[in-house]
Amino acid sequence: MIMVRAIVRPDKKEVVLDELSSAGFHAATVVDVVGRGKQKGIKFGDVIYDEIPKSLIMLVIHDEDKEDVLDVIIRHAKTGEAGAFGDGKIFISSTDEVYTVSSGVAGL
Amino acid sequence: MKEIIAVVRINKVSATKKALVQVGAAGFTALKVMGRGRLVEDKAVIAERRATLLALAQKDDYNTEKLITKFLDGTRLFPRRMFTVLAHDEDVPKIVAAIIEANKTDYNVGDGKIFVLPVLDAVRVRTKESGDAAI
Repeated sequence: MIMVRAIVRPDKKEVVLDELSSAGFHAATVVDVVGRGKQKGIKFGDVIYDEIPKSLIMLVIHDEDKEDVLDVIIRHAKTGEAGAFGDGKIFISSTDEVYTVSSGVAGL
Repeated sequence: MKEIIAVVRINKVSATKKALVQVGAAGFTALKVMGRGRLVEDKAVIAERRATLLALAQKDDYNTEKLITKFLDGTRLFPRRMFTVLAHDEDVPKIVAAIIEANKTDYNVGDGKIFVLPVLDAVRVRTKESGDAAI
């Protein structure tokens, strides 16, 4: 199993979650975060904004679903056809074990 | 070293904290998060709680009913608390069991999930210790 952490624009959060749900990946955890990226924030005149609000979508999936999930997120979190700076990043880490609290059963 | 990420009900936070102290994992980080789980396909599981919540609702219109149903069957995002605990490999089963014990309810759904992830390294800032000694 792998954990996918996608940082996306807050206004793309809803559409990404809806599309993930219709692609069969309903379960997700969402956190509102602030951060900066490679462009070192946004600069307007002398003011640099380096705490830009984003949404972090976290979900744990089976290894074989990785390509599907990445495709859905990238397709819908992008701004326009070409994409733009600030559309976000996706991090993937491995997950050893998963437990459901209500049943205590291991596995997704 | 392992990182245990547990997403639990907000009213179970103090029970979870107590349980963590009891198994000797006092250190943790907690975040307010929004989340949703697997869709509830068997409506019978949520029927009883739906009836209770509907009886508590002040207005008895279609929207209230829709809202309550959406909350219970998992189509909406709802608030949860996310715990992050670092642990030695051998302590993981103990901690997982304690979190499950503290968070189990009779509702059958919505009690949360626990993820166990491998951690490459950890460093204690004060002493610069790294690896297992830092936990």
